Parts: sequence; structure tokens; C-alpha cells
Amino acid sequence: MTTVTSAARRFRISRLRGSNNEGVLVVAIAVLAIVVGLFSPSFWSVATLLNVGTNSLENVVFAMAVLIVIISGGIDVSFMAIGIFAGYSVIVLGNSTGIAADSAWLGFVIAIAIGLALGLLNAFAIAGLRLPTLIATLGTQGIIRGVMLAFIGRKVLPTYPPGLESLSTTYLFTDHAAIDTRLNVMIIPSIMICVAVSLMLRYTLVGRGIFAIGGDAESTRRAGFPVTGLRVLIYLMAGALAAVAGLMHVTQVRLANPYELVGGELDVIAAVVLGGASIFGGKGSVSGTVLGVVLIALIKNSLILLGVPGAWQRAAVGALLLIGVSAQAISAVGRRRRGTIVQEEEEAAA
Amino acid sequence: MSDASTLIQRLMPERSLLRLAAFAIVVMIVFSVMSKPFLSVINFQSMGFQVAEVGLLSLAVMLSMLTGGIDLSIVSIASVSAIVTSQLFAATGASQSSAVTPVLTALFIVVGMLAGTAIGLVNGLLITRLHITPILATLGTMQLINGLMVAWTNGQAIYGMPDIFLAIGTGTVFLVPVAIIVLMAAALLTAVFINRTATGLRLKLVGANPTAARYSGLDNDRVLTLTYLGSALLASLAGIIIASRAASASADYGTSYVLVAIVVCMLAGVNPNGGYATVTGVIVAAFTLQMVASGLNQIGWNAFHYQIVQGVLLIAVIGLNTLSDQGVLSGRLGRPRLRRPPAPGAATSEPGS
Amino acid sequence: MSGDHPLLVARGISKHFGGVAALDNVSLEIRPGEVHCLAGENGSGKSTLIKIISGVVKPDAGVIEVGGETYAHLTPRQAIGAGIEVIYQDFSLFPNLTVAENIAITSLIARGRRAVRPSDLRSIARPVVERIGVGLVLDARVEDLSVADRQLTAICRALAQDARIIFMDEPTTALTWREVSALFRIVAALRESGVALVFVSHKIEEVLRISQRITVLRNGGVVVSGEASEFDRPALIRAMTGRALSDLTPSDTAWREGQPMLEVEGLGRGGYFEGVTFDVRPGEVLGITGLLGSGRTEIAEALFGVHPADSGSIRVNGQPVVLNSVRDAIRAGFGYVPADRLKQGLFLEQSIARNVIAGSLDRLVGRLNLLRQSVADRLAETSLTNLHVKMSTSRALARSLSGGNQQRVVLAKWLARSPRVLILNSPTVGVDVGSKHEILEMLRAKSREGIGIIVISDDVPELFEVCHRVLVVRRGRIVTELTGDRLSEQAILDELAA
Repeated sequence: MTTVTSAARRFRISRLRGSNNEGVLVVAIAVLAIVVGLFSPSFWSVATLLNVGTNSLENVVFAMAVLIVIISGGIDVSFMAIGIFAGYSVIVLGNSTGIAADSAWLGFVIAIAIGLALGLLNAFAIAGLRLPTLIATLGTQGIIRGVMLAFIGRKVLPTYPPGLESLSTTYLFTDHAAIDTRLNVMIIPSIMICVAVSLMLRYTLVGRGIFAIGGDAESTRRAGFPVTGLRVLIYLMAGALAAVAGLMHVTQVRLANPYELVGGELDVIAAVVLGGASIFGGKGSVSGTVLGVVLIALIKNSLILLGVPGAWQRAAVGALLLIGVSAQAISAVGRRRRGTIVQEEEEAAA
Repeated sequence: MSDASTLIQRLMPERSLLRLAAFAIVVMIVFSVMSKPFLSVINFQSMGFQVAEVGLLSLAVMLSMLTGGIDLSIVSIASVSAIVTSQLFAATGASQSSAVTPVLTALFIVVGMLAGTAIGLVNGLLITRLHITPILATLGTMQLINGLMVAWTNGQAIYGMPDIFLAIGTGTVFLVPVAIIVLMAAALLTAVFINRTATGLRLKLVGANPTAARYSGLDNDRVLTLTYLGSALLASLAGIIIASRAASASADYGTSYVLVAIVVCMLAGVNPNGGYATVTGVIVAAFTLQMVASGLNQIGWNAFHYQIVQGVLLIAVIGLNTLSDQGVLSGRLGRPRLRRPPAPGAATSEPGS
Repeated sequence: MSGDHPLLVARGISKHFGGVAALDNVSLEIRPGEVHCLAGENGSGKSTLIKIISGVVKPDAGVIEVGGETYAHLTPRQAIGAGIEVIYQDFSLFPNLTVAENIAITSLIARGRRAVRPSDLRSIARPVVERIGVGLVLDARVEDLSVADRQLTAICRALAQDARIIFMDEPTTALTWREVSALFRIVAALRESGVALVFVSHKIEEVLRISQRITVLRNGGVVVSGEASEFDRPALIRAMTGRALSDLTPSDTAWREGQPMLEVEGLGRGGYFEGVTFDVRPGEVLGITGLLGSGRTEIAEALFGVHPADSGSIRVNGQPVVLNSVRDAIRAGFGYVPADRLKQGLFLEQSIARNVIAGSLDRLVGRLNLLRQSVADRLAETSLTNLHVKMSTSRALARSLSGGNQQRVVLAKWLARSPRVLILNSPTVGVDVGSKHEILEMLRAKSREGIGIIVISDDVPELFEVCHRVLVVRRGRIVTELTGDRLSEQAILDELAA
């Protein structure tokens, strides 16, 4: 049957490219590396690797939160607010009450708890009240940030509870070149989180359910998936992930600034979209997202290496997003269904 | 067909508008009771100065929502018009009062606004030619333009504007702030545009059902481009007002303005999936929100408390609307496919599965 | 084959929506291993009956006996547990998941599993796929599949759930004739294993060809139920429509003089149709028919500029026209009532009046782009009155109207422009019987006024009632023209079945 052969053929070609254009991203990263390396040979150093790693380790966890929501067909702009809320609160808690002061692990547990609670807020608005996801998360972002700045604190905190303090200086790799570049040990849990999310998405019913909702919510309901419950789970997971990422960030920069992170949502969303996730839902992968995060981190790093002022970074990410999304949109339009006559001629020839 | 009942039907505002008006009145009463100076001329003037910016930005978002999309780049566009105008002032030293200043001022304002509106054209092209969904397209342009503006100004604010320019944002005419007059004029023109012109009707139809619009002979691409041009035009005007009030132009006005504009539109009953919006609603909602902000300020709450209130309002308002309209508003912003839930009460309907 | 114990018996089922009776005292019996056709026109109650049996809707009265139990009403869980599976027209698949996942996931959910291992998916999917002997690629994404393969996936999914009775709603609507044959072969294989299939259909040919027993519904009640061998075409049509097949030719013959208002020559669009040549003269109603996928809709959409043709020529009133967009077509004098009224024809959330003027905006513009409101109002009122649209007020939303009135509104939109050629695609689908005849009579009247009318349809009685000539399209080419004495319902049916 021709239908079988042509489907199988298309399948094999798409395998090469990667179902979420991972192949394209790898090529893009390679090209970028070569070009930048030509202009600035210092690119080809361990320092670059460590810098990109440092930058990516928290962003990739944020990206996991965003990825899960986007695959389900939603969009979340509150994740940075959740992140900084959780991170800052843990520091404040540790400093003022001594809770989780000595153990960084406990600090992360508390952060996760906070993330779950804030994620519940999103879940209520979206799964409970059925609000459009962009607007709902815009609202919760305002609430979360407002509550933090109004009630938890506005000061920049330079001193940390000892547990997190020591974590912030625990490094996996250190490059003793001219500029001491290091990579925090938190890269390990960061990678583990990505692996865990990837396994969840691919090998659990919950994960497939998330894809199903993004593809066709009505069919998902008819198939027996508890759609509302799944949606709650999605935003709980996103909240927990964002909270962990937020605490990672705060730990790394060693200065708790409650005004940070919010405003940087686009970089993460851009990374996820560049990584092949469809804004309409139903498509996306952890590997693509990780590549997207790495690509953006690489570009920012390269701009610094090339001496481009920081303001251009913002413009660059914006331009990159537009280019990446245009490419996706154009290739989507290019796919056309074949006419019946052609199909039948093929069948006749089979 | 025209008789008293139809006339009354025409004058009676929509249910959501009535709810909004009731809410506005409640807010006014509550705050006048809690804080004596609320009902003063000075307070209303002060609110008036601020509401113009929000009102114009909200009208911009309203236009983009009318066609089922959203324009997230409005604040960046506002900064473009403000910065271009200010750079022109700075370059020609026009802050020194001279006889030629009114004309030059007007010219510079026009140029600045043209620059901002041009971004709208870019948005329109990205959406119609490259088929990028409005959320992503405007997100991208917002970031790109913002970055370019920060680079251009080196992150510094630009000062030095002639008094006549500053009068726009801070002057009054018979106790009414000039800014309000500008807002009302823009609102009137926008209302005429969407309610009285053929193009305005086309906007509503494309937003309501792009497929049916296409099958009715409408040029969806042209309509969408005009939408984002219009949104950019209003945002550019907002930028002029903001710069005039602050006596400076900077690249970082803050994306909180976008949240406020969306809250206003939702309060106003605008359907984010397209097809329905009223200028009256947006203006009333903008004023209401301003009253809330001002009132909260007077009873001692700070900007962060206000942010919480905004978020809660947003969720509460839409939540109420959604629950009462049985899911007409549910859906995901940015999805070009307008999936409508089965219409309740249609003659041939059966309970959905 | 038809064993002793029926798999399912539904007795005395009634259901009302508002004041309208969708079903009235309906009974149905399904036996193992049979193909049972639930036949009836649109609006006969078929969908409601299925929804009741599958547990989606609760009946107002009646009982359902299945799996040894008697129920006053079923929940979806109970229905699935009893082996009742429904495959809707949209198949309810997950487009972005693989074939194996689509087949296996419902079972995994039912078994309460959490993990999804590829081996599990394969162990559930493969046996089912092999059982009915189809060559589905387990790892392919459903959205990449053809409609026929998607349907096969849906069938496999039903089987993976141990279906005993599979309801298929209009299963052949989106299939080519070759795919229909393949489907019927699979149906035969399923029957061997005792699975009963209930086809819901209004296509007479299929109903007679494939079923062992037939139950005919009309206006919510059972008209007749029995062995398929007891029916022939006229009897079936009479049962479904309440009218007898007529052997007469249309009562008035169109005059074939005068310049054709539309001349189409060698029209083609790669992969969809080619060499299409015909003309339409003033006063005649032309029908274009063919199975789905034959290219008939594509021809209409090429004439209306939705998907322009890439070869051939079109002349309106002798003047050549280029139709590269809908606006070109409208300017050339075309109007189009599309097949999907709700998505393509109407703005459901806008007022009825706005729907009517939506196609005439270019003519209602005054100075400064302002709409000439009074002219627009008058145009809307006149059009609505002329088409006898039953509504509370023209300011009511379009979604408040019944199917028949909604269709009139779409018609009004185009007639408001006094088109030269009006093309209608499946004009009376989802329209109640009364409105149907009125609309068709109206089309006849319009053709007498000089508007060229083209009706695209596969509803044979409708074609016969309204058309003077019928062109039959097969695989993208016009193969026959039926006119005068040669035009009869029988003839059309024969051509379609060939």
C-alpha cells in the first residue's frame, strides 16, 4: 500500500532532522561557534563552556517549566515571578528564622513547597476558572510579585544562610585561567531534572496526556483522561520547577535581589520556542529546549566576547526569536496535502 | 421596524458594560468614604493626567484583541515615539524657547509618532506575510525594539523638551487636563472607526471568524495589518503623553503597562478571542482602574499592593464573566483557530459530550 | 453470524430537547457479527440515539439491555465496559501522538496504568493491527496519516478496548471509493469474530450494499426495521424521506438559448481536477455531483477564488475573468454558499443583519470610509424578508437561528449582491425538511429570474428536485452529463455507484 510506504519514507527523513528541529539547532550552534571563533579566538576555551554552563543551569530548569505548559497548549508568564518569590523567600526565611539555615537541601524542599503553592494559584485560575492562559498568568504574575514586594521584602540581601552560602561556592569545575571561571555543582541536579522531565513526558501516561491535551483537548477528554486534574498537575509541576530554578539563580548570584528575574521571561520562552515547541501546543521536546537554551546563552556570551554592549543582547534575542519563529511558520505553511487524483494514481501504481 | 423598543435596545448598553458601570460607581463611593480628599478637583485632575496614558495603551490593546490577537509591543512602540521625538528636540536644541517652537514641536511629534507607527507595520507584516502568531510576533518586536532603544540611548533618559511639549501632559484647559482631551479625542475617533466605518466592521468580522470573513470576500491580511498599524498609532500617542508628563524619554517604561492595559480591556468586556469590544467600556474601565489606583494610594497602600489588586481584579473579572457567559470567553489567547464551544441555547443544539 | 442472543437491545428510548422530540419511543436490536445500518436523513435522531447508547446523553425514557444487565441510562464507563465503542466522524484521535499511542492509550487509562513503555504500546497495538490485517506504521504520527488510515487507527483503538459493538458515524464521508472498499473488507473480517458494527449513514448505496439489517429513523421515530434483503432502493428512499422516488423529469425545462452567463473551459488544478468544461445558461440550475474526493468541491472553490485553478479559462457573460482571490470572484459576480455553514458561512456571534451585509461592504461605503448605516439596514431587512428568515429581530445573534434559517441568512448575504452566478455546496445539509423544499424552490425561482445557479451535492433527491442538468465528476474529471430524459434519481445513483 502506497500510503504505508510514503508515510514510512517521510518518517525516516524526519528522523534525521529531529522531530523538533533539533538537527537544525545543532547546526546553528556549530555555525555560530565557528563564526564567533573566527572573530574572537578566546571563544574556544574552557571558560566559554563554563560560562554557558553557568548561565544555562538555571535557565534550563525554568525552560522545563515553560516547556510543560507550552506542550499542553498554554503559555505561562508567571514563572519568573514564582522563581524569585521562592528564591528570595527561602533566603529571608533562613536569615530571619533559621529554618533550613544549615541545609541547602531543606532550602530547596521549602522552595518546592512554595512553588507548588504558587502553581496551585495558576491551576485555580486556568483549570478552575477556565481563564485564557496568557491573561491568567499575567494576573498571577502581578499578584505574586506584588505580594513578595509588599509583604516579604524589598531589600537586596547580601548575606545568606550558611547552607546556601556554602552551596553557592561549591564548584564542579574551575578554570584557573586569567579570569576565574567556575561551574557550580548545581549543574548536576539541573541535568537530572531535564532527564526526569524528558522521561516523564515520554514514558508516563501523565506525560502523554500533556501532549494529548495540547493536540486536541476534546479527544483527550473522550479518551478518559482526567483533563482538569492533568491541568492542575501541569501548573503544579511548572511552579515547583520554577521555584527550584529561582533558588538556583539566587544561590548562584550570591545576592538576593527581589527585583531580578521578572522581565527575563522572553529569553526562556524564546529558547523553548526555538527548541521546536509549538506555541499552539502538542509539540516539543526536552532536547530541543536544552539546545535552545544553550544557543541563546551562547549568543549572549559571544556578544560579550565580541565587545558588543549589553543592550544589544536584548535586541539579539528578540531578533533571534523572530527569525526562528518565521522559519518554523514558513515551513509549516509549506506542508500541503496532496490531491486525491495524485493519491489515487499512486495507489493504482502500487 | 424602527420603533420605541428598538431604539431603547440600541441605547441600552451591554450587560457587561452595566456591570462595569456599577463597579465604577461602587469604587467611587467606597473611596470617597474612606478618604476625604478623593472627591476633590485636584484628585480628579491628578487621576486625569495619569489615565490618559493607560487609556491610550488600552485602546491599542483593544484593537489587537478585536481581531483575535494581542499586541504586546505597545510599550516598546510608545518608547520609540517618545525617544525619537526627544532626540529631535535634543538635537536641535529646541528646548530653548523660540518663536518657531510650536511648529517644530508639532513636526517632531509627528515624526516620532510615524516612527512608532512604522513598527506597527512591521508587526502587521510579520503576522500576515510570515504567518507568525500575534503573541510571538509582538513579543519578538517588543524585545527587539526595546533592545535597540536601550542601545540607542545608552540606557539613559533623554531630557530637554520645550514648555509647549510639556503642556500636553501637564497642562489643563478649564480645569480639564489636556491629556484627557487628547484621550477623549482619540477614543472618539477610535469609536467612530470601529463602529461606523466599513473597515471597522471588517475588523470585527475578521476577529469573529476569519474563515467566514475570507469566504465573504474580506481581505484578512489587509485588515490585520491595519489593526496593528492602528494599535501602534495609539501606542505612539501614548508615548508622547508619557514623555510629556515625565519630561523625559527612556527606553524602560516597564512592561507593567502591558498588564494594566490588558486588565482594562478585560474589565471592559473585550473578548480576547476577537469580534467584540467597545470603546466606551475601555474608557470607563480605564477610569475605574485609575480610581482604584488613586484611592489605594490615598489610603496608604503602595504600588505593590496595587499590583496585587490588579492581578486579583483581572482574575476575578474574567472569572465572573466566564462563569456567567457559560464559557464564551474560554480559550487560549493567541490561537488563530477560533474554537468555539457549542453554542448554548441554539435551536438545534444537543448537550455536548 | 446473526446468533440467537442479541448483543444490545434498546427499548422505548425517548429524548426531548426543549420542546422538540429528538427521539420518540425508539427501539433497536443489535445481534452479534452483524452489520446493522441506522439509516435516516439529517435530523432524524441518529446521533442522539448513539449518544444515548454510548452513555454521553441520558434518555428521558426507555431501557437499554446490554451485557446481561438492564439500564435506565448508561455512563460512558459502563458503555465502554459493555463493549460499546463509538467512532465519531472526527475520529477523536490525538493528532500529535503516534498510531501505537492512539491505539493503546485508552486501554492503558482504563487499566489504571501510570507508565507508558514502548513495549506496552506495541504489545497492545500490534495484535489488533494484525488482527484486521492492515499495514499501519505504528510509529507514524496520526496527523501525517491519510483520512482512511486515521479511521483504521480509530477502529484499532476500539478493538483494543475489546469492543463488541462498534458504532461508526458516517464512516465513508471522507473516504475515496477505493478506501471504502478496503473498509468494507475489514468490516467483513470483524464480523467473523462476532463483533457487530452499526453504521450510521444516509447513503443509500452503502446501506444496501453492506448491511444485514437496517433500521430507518425519520423525525425521531423508527419507520421500519428489518433484514436488508427486504429493502430495495425505492423502498429505502421512501422510508428515509417519506416520499416516493419520482421518475418524472423536472417539471419545467430551462430554456437553453441566450448567451451562457458562465463558460468554463479546460479548468484544472494540479492534483485535484482537470479538463473541466461546462457552461451555465440563464434560467438553468446546474448540478455537479460526485463522491467525496472526486473534486467537486475543489471545482466550486476554484470558481470562487478560494483555491484558484492553475489552468483553463473562465468567462462570465462572455468576458474573460481571472479569479485569483475571493474578491476577484465576487467582483465578477459570483456568490458561494459553502458546505460548512458554521465555520465558513456564518459569523455566529454577530447579529443576523451583520451577517447579511458582510458580503456587500464595498457597496455600503460612503465618504471617509463611513458605513452608510441606513442603506445597510434597509438592505439587510429587505434580503431577510425576501428569504423568509424566521427570527426574533435582525439584531439577534446568528447562532440563535435554526439550521434552515441560518442557511437562508447565508443565501441572503449573496442575494443581497444580486450575483450573476450563485454556487451552493451541499445547501440543505442539517436543514429541516420543510425549509429544505422552500430553499430549493427559491433556487428555482432565482434561476428563472436569470441568476445562474450551480448546486454541488451528493444528495440525490435534492439534485433531482432542483437541477435541470447534472454533471457527474469522477476522480477530477467530468464523466457524464445527465439532462432531459436521461436525468432521473435512478440515473444519478447509478453514476455515483459506478
